[in-house]
Amino acid sequence: MPDRFTSRWDTLAFVGCLLVSMIARVTPEPIQTRVASAVRGSLLAPLLAVQRQAELFKTSRARSAALVTQRDDAARSALDIESVREENLRLRRLLGLHERLSVPHVSAEVLHQSSPVDGLTLLLAAGSDAGVRPMSPILTPDGLLGVVRSVDRDHAVAVIWPHPDFRAGAMTEDGEAFGIVAPSNAGGRGRLLLELHGVPYLKVLQPGTRLYTAGFGEVYPRGIPIGRVLAIADETVGLARSYLVEPAAHPASVAHVIILLRPRGDLADAFVEPGS
Amino acid sequence: MRRSIDYGLLTVVALLIVLHFALRPWLGSPRAAPDFLLLALLVYAIQARPGAAAIAGFVVGILSDALTPVAFGSGMLAYTVVGYLAAWGKAIFFAENLVVMAGFFFAGTVVRDVLVLLWGGQVTGGALLWQLGVWTLLKGLTTAVVGVGALLVFRNWLHVRLRE
Repeated sequence: MPDRFTSRWDTLAFVGCLLVSMIARVTPEPIQTRVASAVRGSLLAPLLAVQRQAELFKTSRARSAALVTQRDDAARSALDIESVREENLRLRRLLGLHERLSVPHVSAEVLHQSSPVDGLTLLLAAGSDAGVRPMSPILTPDGLLGVVRSVDRDHAVAVIWPHPDFRAGAMTEDGEAFGIVAPSNAGGRGRLLLELHGVPYLKVLQPGTRLYTAGFGEVYPRGIPIGRVLAIADETVGLARSYLVEPAAHPASVAHVIILLRPRGDLADAFVEPGS
Repeated sequence: MRRSIDYGLLTVVALLIVLHFALRPWLGSPRAAPDFLLLALLVYAIQARPGAAAIAGFVVGILSDALTPVAFGSGMLAYTVVGYLAAWGKAIFFAENLVVMAGFFFAGTVVRDVLVLLWGGQVTGGALLWQLGVWTLLKGLTTAVVGVGALLVFRNWLHVRLRE
């Protein structure tokens, strides 16, 4: 037993690793990005390829289940598994958006990770080889999910709307009120919310008002759903109000996304599903 | 004799790492699914000296930070501490008992999540409490269950003498 207690070497190794971790934490972001990209492109490359295959196989299973169910009613009950049905529905909606989008785009699997901060960023199985570039918007059939921050050959890292750095210009459906959306701390019980800042005081938004990207700047094209107004969050009397917003797209449940390659124009029509 | 123990351990660790990427996507919500990567580190730490376990934790932390680069360095620190404490604590405190081992895997998951979240500082307020109070506990439970299963299945390779 005594040989299992810490020796000087053990303590040195521990302190050394802690010091390097702390240095890594305060290292400038471009260096962090380069190191992370190098690790993904070397040590992790075969393992991420395995994870991508697992995601693709899962998708194929959902498609296959749908086909068999259509072909054979007797198999319906056996294959009517909730998770497969949900996955199939998500794929159908993604395919619908894919067909309606008029701008160049690619679809990508989301490679979820086990870290407790997965969902602030997401690893996507499409990279520069597929034409993805930093600042490309990430969409789901429900609306805006985030924006690409860094790109490797085969993968991209996206900043998702709950991330503290996320910002997007927003407008109401009628185009009469504008503001900036950012993540909010006001949610509770696992309910993550956005907050719309800088709405003129005299322009009162009713709960349920839909918000879309405003198309300011070069990042997000106009007309991507962001969410719905829930309530007033804060106000500076006579100047401006901020509103809590229920986001349209939720990162935890998403398995596939669409990445816009050359964002431009007004995309509002692409999010109107036939029959809705 | 010593070499065969090492090969058994290496095989189990490698298998857990592959399962993390191949099997985990099938296990439902990624927020609650068992963390095979952390399990690989803890299984290694059971057999290793604290210094070696700290270095192994640091390497797993680099992988984690590369996969989820929200607060680069927080994963390295968290896994280093978990690896070191697991090897140190295992040497001093833990009996080779199924319930204790389940608690060991559960505690490792909770400590890792607490350190990543607090050192990273990106999740605050209600979201932090919800993550720690719900998802971390669920993930800890699933990881503990899988960990005990792995110990039972591979107890000969890992040279673990479990008392139930």
